[in-house]
Amino acid sequence: MPPFKDEHVLIIAPGSQTTLAQLGLPESFTPARLRVPTRMFPAEKKGEWEATRIRERKVTRTSSKTEAHGHADGDVTMGEANGPLDDQGMAEDQEDDVRVEEDPTSEEGAVYPLRDGKIVEWSCFFALLTHIYNTMGPPFHTPILVISQPAWTAQDHESLTQFIFEMFKTPAFCLMDSALAVCYAYATPTATVVDVGHGKCDVTAVNEFLVCDLGRGSALPGCGGEAMTQRLHDLLGGKGFTSEVCEQLKKSPICEILPPGMQMPAETEVNAHISNPAAAASTGASGSGPGQRGSIASQGGAPRGPGINTEVGDADEDREFKEGEDDEGVLDVAAIVASGKTGEFLVKKEREKAAKAAAKKDAADAAAVAKERSLPNSKRMKATFHYHERRPLEELNMNGKRAMDGENGQDGGEPKRQKTPEPVVDSGIQATENATATRREERKEERRRNREGTAFIRKSADVGLERFQAASGGILDQIADAIHRCVLSYPDISKRSDLWDSLIILGNGSKVKGFKEALVGTLNSRYLTSSSSATIFTSELPSNFTTPVATGANTPQPQHHPPTHHGPGVNPLLLAATTASNPNLAPPGQSQQQLHQQLQLQQYHQQQMQQSHQHSSHAQTPTSIKLLKMPDYFPEWKDVGMEEAGFLGAQVAAKVVFVVDQGISKGFMSRTEYNELGPQGIHETCL
Amino acid sequence: MATGQASTKPPDANEYGGDEISALVLDPGYSTTRAGFAGEDVPKAIVPSFHGLIPSESTPKHAKQLFGDNSINIPLPRISISNVMSKEGTVEDWDTAANLWEYAITSRLTNTKPTPLASNGLNDPNEDITMEGVEEQEKPLGENPLLMTETGWNAGKDREKGIEIAMENWGCPAFWLARNGVLAAFASGKPTALVVDLGASTIAITPVHDGLILKKAVTRSPLAGNFVSNQLRLLFASSQPPIPITPHYLVASKTAVDAGTPAQATYRTFAPGTEPHPSFRQFQEERVLTEFKESVVNVWTGPGRLGGHSQQGGTNIDVAKQHPGKPFEMPDGWNQMFPALDRYRAIEGIFDHKMALSDASNPPPSPGQTITALISSSLSQVDIDLRPHLLGNIVITGASSWFAGFTDRLQQELQAAYPGVRVRMVASGQMVERKFGSWIGGSILASLGTFHQLWISKKEYEEHGSGIVEKRCK
Repeated sequence: MPPFKDEHVLIIAPGSQTTLAQLGLPESFTPARLRVPTRMFPAEKKGEWEATRIRERKVTRTSSKTEAHGHADGDVTMGEANGPLDDQGMAEDQEDDVRVEEDPTSEEGAVYPLRDGKIVEWSCFFALLTHIYNTMGPPFHTPILVISQPAWTAQDHESLTQFIFEMFKTPAFCLMDSALAVCYAYATPTATVVDVGHGKCDVTAVNEFLVCDLGRGSALPGCGGEAMTQRLHDLLGGKGFTSEVCEQLKKSPICEILPPGMQMPAETEVNAHISNPAAAASTGASGSGPGQRGSIASQGGAPRGPGINTEVGDADEDREFKEGEDDEGVLDVAAIVASGKTGEFLVKKEREKAAKAAAKKDAADAAAVAKERSLPNSKRMKATFHYHERRPLEELNMNGKRAMDGENGQDGGEPKRQKTPEPVVDSGIQATENATATRREERKEERRRNREGTAFIRKSADVGLERFQAASGGILDQIADAIHRCVLSYPDISKRSDLWDSLIILGNGSKVKGFKEALVGTLNSRYLTSSSSATIFTSELPSNFTTPVATGANTPQPQHHPPTHHGPGVNPLLLAATTASNPNLAPPGQSQQQLHQQLQLQQYHQQQMQQSHQHSSHAQTPTSIKLLKMPDYFPEWKDVGMEEAGFLGAQVAAKVVFVVDQGISKGFMSRTEYNELGPQGIHETCL
Repeated sequence: MATGQASTKPPDANEYGGDEISALVLDPGYSTTRAGFAGEDVPKAIVPSFHGLIPSESTPKHAKQLFGDNSINIPLPRISISNVMSKEGTVEDWDTAANLWEYAITSRLTNTKPTPLASNGLNDPNEDITMEGVEEQEKPLGENPLLMTETGWNAGKDREKGIEIAMENWGCPAFWLARNGVLAAFASGKPTALVVDLGASTIAITPVHDGLILKKAVTRSPLAGNFVSNQLRLLFASSQPPIPITPHYLVASKTAVDAGTPAQATYRTFAPGTEPHPSFRQFQEERVLTEFKESVVNVWTGPGRLGGHSQQGGTNIDVAKQHPGKPFEMPDGWNQMFPALDRYRAIEGIFDHKMALSDASNPPPSPGQTITALISSSLSQVDIDLRPHLLGNIVITGASSWFAGFTDRLQQELQAAYPGVRVRMVASGQMVERKFGSWIGGSILASLGTFHQLWISKKEYEEHGSGIVEKRCK
């Protein structure tokens, strides 16, 4: 078998929302080049799938699209529109009165084959893989690496292996656990990986590059980003926020999760104001039910008292905001749109706002506002965020010409409008820059056509303290409990404190501002063993305590049997990785790290040796909880953040497994092995 | 390859290397249920044998069942926790056990492929309906032979029930029932051994000779992991002032306090009517006690018993008082240095019934229940020629055997009881191997090429009925 080349490696990392893929390993590892939403649309024939929504449409120009949502991933999907799968759809276009056409921005009827990490719709999932494969157009000699979700079962692994080998005829296939991939990205053999996804969260303890199945919190339901959106919707739904707006609110910088113990600004005043029972319940009432976090104050926050923001001026300002007719905080978007006066309303609102600003006679009030605006978000009562809403064009037309003008005047032709607020897609746009010019041209055309049917309205709304409560539904508690359980079930007790000290929180669900800090804060406030007890030099030492006696009577005695074996050996791939003289893998500073790793390994073995003799010397954990520092030698990842570090790890692993190691350490399953062992062979080689 | 292959796909030696690696091994225990594919070194699916029940508002009889670590640790409204196993280590609630096992197998090993998307998960509200649906469409284990473990004293109906579930509910092509003691001996590579299994609910002594269980000589007692937990509860209650156990779920946040001073934590409260059932608290307290057992409890390693006299003339208790204590912090921040005597005392009852703490609900153990007495009584029932051989091959297994110093102490006790014989312990230094000893043995057994002829095939089951287990699986 000829050696594999960097540029031939295909990596696919499926996620519940977005699937990342890339062909070829660049000089320095970059974020994924291709991002596709993990969804397919049922084709006409049952069991067949299309990458974009195909729908019938009368040739008459008057009719148009009715979908009211789904612009979020528009750009990427449009890029996909050139995929080979869509050709027949285009061909059919001309045939009939009823034209079949693609709607790249719609997600109506979409089927998401992965839900909470589990593969729930196999034919759809396979179609998606095929679609990605075809989009990439890899050469024949392409090894494939797939990142597997922790929720996938052994049988899932087999099915997938069979599909990959038989469908793509790949010469080599590697299935890698997502938590392990993260460890490769962070170049750490030991870590507690907390991967917060869309609908679920995975908590995994990894030691010596071995994933520990015992106590693993795989696919904790209701602990992902979706749960936070839902929580916001629960809180704000009464104020006319749709769940889509809540999704955008969650992604906006004003939505923040405050660390436990931190008081929300002027909480008491707000309690008096909020009429929404849901919000009231979540901010204060201690009897707000299980699964719900108590209020910050009831969790031991500082007693409520006059703070920076509890001045009378602010409160008055707030009351005025609340009572004023132009209260942006309770902007009832749905009602306004339904009333069919969107444009008018917006214009009116602008005018009124201006009038109001002019009418602000009270200088003190104005100063208070200015002061409030200059405060950091977490200290402000309210904050404004901008969101985009996709409305069908004809609805706007019906609202009258003026509304149309208003809309177009406001943001017509602005490329900004197309730019979705989803940061995920932002980088997608960035990543697809490599696409050919022609493709971009086509996409523009597509976009223009698309705009005829729908328009994006840029709106803004004020949000009160609800914006701090995205995680108030108990997510943090659940995840923290799962982490605690996971680490405390780790069989090697002496490694547990290492696991506490190397926490990695990632996943797009953790992108919400303040999430990681709040989670670490929760862990600290609930589980950290205080130093007063961990040290034996407490003032409250029992009187009968003495120092170890010289007779050795109280030193642990060695067991009579020799240690059977030293546990899992060093991962051969780790050795390959650390010894590879590869510029990508060994940037300046890496040599020290190598040294450090080797030292750690040595220490590990020493510990193992000792452990079998005196496993009594374990103290309670955790005495410290630390986040692992993100590796700084991949500049491209710095700006994007390490939320998708698993993909970086996948590239590192692909480099090691396919290119450096070339299969010596059995890092992948070759076609020959597949022919010999069948799909079940994957269990011996998968990482 | 004889009858056992009748309905399975015959493993082609050339194609699949002769190993039947898709056989499943299911090892139910009191604390956890282990399941995994034969031939692997650790079980992939480890789920608690506890399950959560949420009574439904409308129909009190119909409760929603929750399985798996992820769902039974959340203080949901009115959640109660029960166990499918009896304190004896045998299955008590067969219907729930079947659901629990199916959850264990389908969540990590196979999948519920033919089920519709929405019902793919056993935590659904209308879970019973889902289960029936699964069975109608395709039996979940239609392709996997199943090896199940049982205790050495499992008998009659319970044994038959196992094969019925496997064949009728799950559609297994082949089945086998193995004694967990025997399997633990296999895991240590010993065809002849005296297996000392310290589980959560029972200590079991199983003499194994040439891979066959000596059923008459199996002894057991309840002085195992949960006994130590109860000793700790008694210890905490009897200390001045009493030490409260506050499980993690009740604590919203804690503040560091000095040792011995009352906790200053903010507690979580639940609205009336939504409090979890006391059994949930009990279950969560057990988590704290497990941590305590791991980090504080220590076995007195002699010389002599803790209640005995030291060589210098004083009592061993006085010696123990000289030993260093160990600090422990409760979830609510309360912490204290636990003196060595307490650390030893909590587990001493397993070896010395006189040292066990007791109260009305925890009666003191009888002299015959201690581990040394169990081993003696087991040995007295086996052939006298076999005894030295068994004493030379004592296999220690079970998670509760992981107490610091346990092996040393047992060695001492037995050497004192059998002075002329060479007593040798086989205890793995790996916690995983101790914890899953019987599962690992099952994994080894089921992946052996020669084991294939032993399987009870579906055809045989249909021919002979469930009574075949009694005939075949001795």
